[in-house]
Amino acid sequence: MSAPAQTALARPQSGAALRAMLPWVLAALAALILPHVVPGGFGLSLLCRMGIAIVFALSFNMLLGQGGMLDFGHAVFLGLGGFLAMHAMKLADAGWWIPLPALPLVGAAGGLAVAILAGWVSTRRAGTAFAMITLGVAELVVAVVLLLPSVFGGEEGLSGDRSSGPPLLGVDFGTQIQAYYLIAAWAWAAALLMWLYTRTPLGRLANAIRDNPERVGFLGYDAARIRLLVFSLSGLFAGIAGGLAALNDEIVTAGNMSPEASSAVLVMTFIGGVGTFWGPVIGAVLITFLSVALSTVTDAWQLYSGLLFVAMVVWAPGGISGIILAHAPVVRAGFAGRLAPAYAAMLPGFFLALAGTLGLAELGFRLQSVRNGASPRPVFGMALDPQGVLPWVVAAILLLAGAWLLRRAAPAAREAWQEASVMAQVQ
Amino acid sequence: MTLALHVTGLKKAFGPTKIIRGVELQVARGERHAVIGPNGAGKSTLFHLISGRLPSDAGQILLHGQDITGLAPHDIFNRGLARSFQVTSLFPRLSVFENLRAAAMRTHGCGHAFWRRLEGFAPLRRRAEEVLSLLGLERRRDVLAGALAYADQRALEIGVTIAGGAETILLDEPTAGMSRAETERAVTLIRRVSEGRTLVMIEHDLGVVFGLADTISVLAEGRVIASGPPDQVRGDPAVRTAYLGAAAETLA
Ligand SMILES: Nc1ncnc2c1ncn2[C@@H]1O[C@H](COP(=O)(O)OP(=O)(O)O)[C@@H](O)[C@H]1O
Ligand SMILES: [Mg+2]
Repeated sequence: MSAPAQTALARPQSGAALRAMLPWVLAALAALILPHVVPGGFGLSLLCRMGIAIVFALSFNMLLGQGGMLDFGHAVFLGLGGFLAMHAMKLADAGWWIPLPALPLVGAAGGLAVAILAGWVSTRRAGTAFAMITLGVAELVVAVVLLLPSVFGGEEGLSGDRSSGPPLLGVDFGTQIQAYYLIAAWAWAAALLMWLYTRTPLGRLANAIRDNPERVGFLGYDAARIRLLVFSLSGLFAGIAGGLAALNDEIVTAGNMSPEASSAVLVMTFIGGVGTFWGPVIGAVLITFLSVALSTVTDAWQLYSGLLFVAMVVWAPGGISGIILAHAPVVRAGFAGRLAPAYAAMLPGFFLALAGTLGLAELGFRLQSVRNGASPRPVFGMALDPQGVLPWVVAAILLLAGAWLLRRAAPAAREAWQEASVMAQVQ
Repeated sequence: MTLALHVTGLKKAFGPTKIIRGVELQVARGERHAVIGPNGAGKSTLFHLISGRLPSDAGQILLHGQDITGLAPHDIFNRGLARSFQVTSLFPRLSVFENLRAAAMRTHGCGHAFWRRLEGFAPLRRRAEEVLSLLGLERRRDVLAGALAYADQRALEIGVTIAGGAETILLDEPTAGMSRAETERAVTLIRRVSEGRTLVMIEHDLGVVFGLADTISVLAEGRVIASGPPDQVRGDPAVRTAYLGAAAETLA
């Protein structure tokens, strides 16, 4: 290769590096400003939950999206990291000099240690066998945690007081806003580290074993060893999320590592989109918001996030970030206007089907509680009797009519999309 | 002189079917060696055994005099042997450039590092760029490997195999399914990338074989029935009856 050709191939590095850092600067600014924009203590605690969920979902996507590893027991690393951090917090309560901001490091150590142990078993295999083993390991760990009440506090878990340790530079983290800034700083740093990791040799090897684990062997790498390293690092970051959760909640229980917690992180990561680094951030923010906002309104919110998950798996396997990524070139090429009418034509069917689904779900939940002797709560402000036939028929008709309208409008929308994306490519 | 590859008494059966029935193969260092034989003769299986993809039932494989029998694929690669696949085996969701870079990582000091930037490995990037231009795929640099045209994927398959700079290269039907023009380009590429290395290549296109190979081995019914310079193999009566037939007449 000639020298001039080499210089031609060398691309400008510093400009690109600056542009790559821009989202991180913006994220830091947003984290600084948000608590002053979002109303009240409720908003603040919601923001704290989001920060923790972001770290957790990103650590999960190190496995699923980047490494092709489906971990059914990821909450175990958060949980055990949380327990270890809680023990450290209790030591601080007892007078040991353990600065509170360092607790997530303790969580990281806990998550890492358990991930190395669990990964030593599970990462020898890939694919379905790997997923099955993670499920088994998670069951096992939860059982052990409940069997050792002296260490993990049994059903009640462990609780502590984050503000009773020695204050640091006059800050004792007693108030929620102080805790928020601590969590935000940690979440930002952890996310940045996970992003930097994607640009390292191991990060690229993770992508390689996701795409084609066999070929990696013929390029000199042991796929099982790559899986173990990636799994361990992912556990470390999940442990940081656990440390943050311990800090935020001041309590850690076996519920933090339950199968529900593990499936919640799968759901939020998938809905956000596993194909991009930032997809899980969207999922974590959205699902955390929905779980908090919806759970105050309806008992059926888990059903809704489940439905959203299934809908995504079927119709948009790339998640929200996948949809954004697919549409970005079309919008940039100025063809958004062509898509809008076809997409808008789907809205009536969508809202009808949504209303029907909500109606059926809410009626179903009411039916259960009425059968248990409770008086029926109104459905969306309407006093409907879930034991009557009419509300069910109306909801079912709404759903069917909506589905029918959607089916009719879908081909045109698909066609418009294909046309626009082809034209955007040609440009 | 030590042989690049020395296979003795190699055997492999799938259940009751004996596919490799005592293969003897000697590949001299620096030669271009073609393995030919009818479909289903066991050529790909032989490559799987040599490269560690499949365990053998009996026999020994020496790479530059070192016993590599029974080693895992990555250990064999790290002793200097790389292989390509008859069925293209790339990283479909990585770009062409990232495929080449991943392929060269092991031999460019990357290890499993997660504390250093990939961009920081300048020789690695140069190597990937170099192979990219060798393949003539510069304009496809950032295209996902899964989205490449078939012939480009086959070229990348060769590129991924050689990017690490292995001393001994095994190519399994690199020109299969290619048009005349694409085959010619592939042959030029193979000639260039095997310069100063040892090449073992499975190939069914006899025109390619006789144009490229220093030595030809014929595999039939699980054994190497002839091995030698092209002229000698062409004239071998056993080869004619077993395999070459009419094709040899036209070449003679
Ligand atoms: N994993 C396997 N299990 C069972 N039979 C196999 C396997 N791999 C190859 N074979 C059989 O072994 C024979 C040789 O296959 P192969 O080595 O691919 O032949 P070729 O010389 O065409 O490359 C074929 O009959 C094939 O069906
Ligand atoms: Mg074959």
